[in-house]
Amino acid sequence: MGLGFVVGIFGVLFLFHAAYSTIQYRGLLKIMEEEFSDPPMNVVLELLLGFVFCVSASLTVPGNFISIHPDSEENRIVSLPSSLDFTIFNHRAKALPFEVDMKLKH
Amino acid sequence: MTGHSDSSSSEKKSNEEMNDVPVFSAENMQNNMKVIYYSRTFMSIIGGVIAGILGFTGFMGFVFYFLVMTITSIGLIAKAKFSVHLYVDSWNRIILDGFMGGLMSFVLFWTFAYDIVHIF
Repeated sequence: MGLGFVVGIFGVLFLFHAAYSTIQYRGLLKIMEEEFSDPPMNVVLELLLGFVFCVSASLTVPGNFISIHPDSEENRIVSLPSSLDFTIFNHRAKALPFEVDMKLKH
Repeated sequence: MTGHSDSSSSEKKSNEEMNDVPVFSAENMQNNMKVIYYSRTFMSIIGGVIAGILGFTGFMGFVFYFLVMTITSIGLIAKAKFSVHLYVDSWNRIILDGFMGGLMSFVLFWTFAYDIVHIF
């Protein structure tokens, strides 16, 4: 997550630098009394680079997806209670007709 | 069942053998929705700043927002390794979820950046 965060910071910095370049470009156009049609090509490239950095940061920084199926490997729904004094192994559930394959979750 | 579930906040839908109700863990589903929401909001803000710097006005800006949201959706689907059904329960959630909320943030930062770069 640290690397994604740094990449995001760089993307935002590129955006700020591109904004500053565009402000300076507009000042130059005002001096030369021309119309503003497009930012110069290097600003567009810098914006694209900052956008790519921000996209990769937004996909890595918030965290991973967790599987929502209860029978995937990371989602074991069975675990022993943490206080072993209250653990009961011998109860009426052995009369139920379920056949469940369970593994312990630590 | 002979085991007890340790995390008290994880709810499951009932899983009778007669019904065909799919079972999923709501806590993990909420985590995935939070990730999607954060990604979309951040990309809306960044898209707004870029649209303001590039000087889009009017309809072009909304076209740009739609483009940014499409790229974000593709990125999220790629992050889910293209097997979306493992992480959310329907396609609509990963494609359409933060669309309207992100639009507000987009317009806010779009006007903000446009004002800073082109007017002042």
